[in-house]
Amino acid sequence: MGALKPPAEDVMIHAEGLTVGYGERPVLKDVTFTVHAGEIVTVLGGSGCGKSTLLKALIGLIRPLRGSVRIRGACITGSDREAALESIRRHIGVLFQYGALLGSLSIADNVALPLEEFTDLPRSLIADLVHFKLDTVGLADYAHFMPAELSGGMRKRAALARAMALDPEILFCDEPSAGLDPITAAELDELLLECNRALGITMVVITHELASIEAIATRCIMLDKSAQGIIAVGRPEDLKNHSADPRVRAFFHRQPSLMRPEAASVAPEG
Amino acid sequence: MMGPQSTTEAGGTGRRVWAPSGPLTLKTVSDHWKTFQNLLSDPAVKALVVDLSGVEAVDSAGLVLLKGLRDRCAAASIAYELAHVPEPFRPFFVFGGLDRPTHEKPSTTRVGENALERLGRLTMETLQDIGELIEFVGSVTVAFLPCCLHPKRFRLKEVLYYVQRSGSEAMPIVFLVSFLMGLIMAFQAAVQLRQFGANIFVADLVSLALTRELGPLMTAIILAGRSAAAFAAEIGTMKVNEEVDALTVMGFNVTEFLIMPKVNALAFSGPLLTLFANASGIFGGMVVGALGLDLTPASFLTEVVAILSLTDVVSGLAKSLAFSILVAMVGCLRGLQTEKSADSVGRMTTSAVVSSIFLIILADAVFTVLFHVFDI
Ligand SMILES: Nc1ncnc2c1ncn2[C@@H]1O[C@H](COP(=O)(O)OP(=O)(O)OP(=O)(O)O)[C@@H](O)[C@H]1O
Ligand SMILES: [Mg+2]
Repeated sequence: MGALKPPAEDVMIHAEGLTVGYGERPVLKDVTFTVHAGEIVTVLGGSGCGKSTLLKALIGLIRPLRGSVRIRGACITGSDREAALESIRRHIGVLFQYGALLGSLSIADNVALPLEEFTDLPRSLIADLVHFKLDTVGLADYAHFMPAELSGGMRKRAALARAMALDPEILFCDEPSAGLDPITAAELDELLLECNRALGITMVVITHELASIEAIATRCIMLDKSAQGIIAVGRPEDLKNHSADPRVRAFFHRQPSLMRPEAASVAPEG
Repeated sequence: MMGPQSTTEAGGTGRRVWAPSGPLTLKTVSDHWKTFQNLLSDPAVKALVVDLSGVEAVDSAGLVLLKGLRDRCAAASIAYELAHVPEPFRPFFVFGGLDRPTHEKPSTTRVGENALERLGRLTMETLQDIGELIEFVGSVTVAFLPCCLHPKRFRLKEVLYYVQRSGSEAMPIVFLVSFLMGLIMAFQAAVQLRQFGANIFVADLVSLALTRELGPLMTAIILAGRSAAAFAAEIGTMKVNEEVDALTVMGFNVTEFLIMPKVNALAFSGPLLTLFANASGIFGGMVVGALGLDLTPASFLTEVVAILSLTDVVSGLAKSLAFSILVAMVGCLRGLQTEKSADSVGRMTTSAVVSSIFLIILADAVFTVLFHVFDI
């Protein structure tokens, strides 16, 4: 899988006219974009603009109100949704915003779970694989800890090991470095980058961290809450230096006031 | 604190000047607020000047008061003016947006509903709930056969774990409840039956009532309190932590992975617990018989064996099997219906117990009718 084999298709993810929301209330409207094999695409945007919601639609957890999503060519929004999801699930890994490790299993068992379920590997080989995966994320010494006994950052790393257990072709990450100290966050970015380079894994990473974006992104997709959709797509350095959109500049230069032009000037009357 | 004297009439033009003194804070604003209500309801007022020169301190409450006053004046077409804003307050006023018009506040209260609408909504919700239960039972049934035929998908390890948790660990409480029930029943019956010298019929009463009715029922209610609640809380917490979503995207069939082991475990341990409850209850009756009724344990047991038919025992076990599956399913369904909050876990756990007890009684009524019709 994934590793060191040139991917069969160049377009890994294609979303077309995607409208997603909860109930009848759309959060994002008419979103269209493409992710190519080998890319790391970061999804940016302010809190509550719908990044996690978009991710859930891409991995088939919520059904879009309109539009279509194709993953590796399989349409996961059409009439044959279940079969399509079934066919792609072994090829995608997801790192949730809060890790979502199974609380009743140890770290090692969490990582072993997809291996035991979806492969016929002998037990001892699974154990070695689990050790290898945990070692890559620096948690080999914590294999027998329960998730509740780990710190937030360690849980994220363990969840990354689980997401990578079956060597997916596409990895989705929801804020991998949120709540981590700058050093650990940088290590995690490094890890993602290594997985991308060494294993050719395509990644969609949601993040707010400018440092992460600049370190890992090949392309960025920027969402906006009031626009309810994409306001910019491009390489991070282009967005940072050449974007005409004040909202994009505000984000990359950390100046919220640019987004609220009416805020500054006027003094109270009287 | 703020009398009407604090507003002064300036000429006969309906222009009022209000000059509060002291702090304008959480502690004092409610007094000021009453003054404003009077002012605003006075049709003579055409313009209002708020003179802040005497104000010593302002906090958020004071700021919101001033903003609210401004907005209400605008709504009532009263000219409003802030005068003599002390210099130290200005940054705070800018921060608080006193210089900007207020955005339309989104309504924070849900629209009220009258009794009829409420009745309608509750009816629809109940119908939907029943629909979901039926759909859920269907999906579990569909998953059942492939699960049992395929050893790996049966998940023996998890099934045994839940047999331990819901079955073995429930034995002490099942024993206690059934034993005491047998004891009480025998005692109550003994008082009456002794008058006719019919002591031995205590054995008949206790054993029949327990095996046909009370054993399965009490066991199911204990299972509802222990296991339905545990299942709902467990799955609900997994829902909150996105563990269920994680399993789904990893490609696990949630019904097969989370639900089936629990249902299978209860389907196995429920009837066994019922047998155990029957035995405990009969033992309770026997104790009363031996201590209070001059019945030897041997004669008591002989009577029990003579009166109980296989049909009695089997019909009780069939009931128990149905109740146990019901309890497990309701617990799991409520868990899956949990929304992403701790509060929801609590509500769904409660609901799991209440719904399963209700459904047990309902199912028991159905069984009673069926057994009567088919003469079992
Ligand atoms: N389960 C839900 N039900 C209803 N509305 C929801 C639900 N989850 C999110 N929303 C709404 O969808 C919008 C987008 O939420 P989402 O979680 O996608 O934001 P986000 O961009 O991931 O924010 P953050 O960076 O804070 O994680 C929000 O306005 C939120 O109110
Ligand atoms: Mg999010």
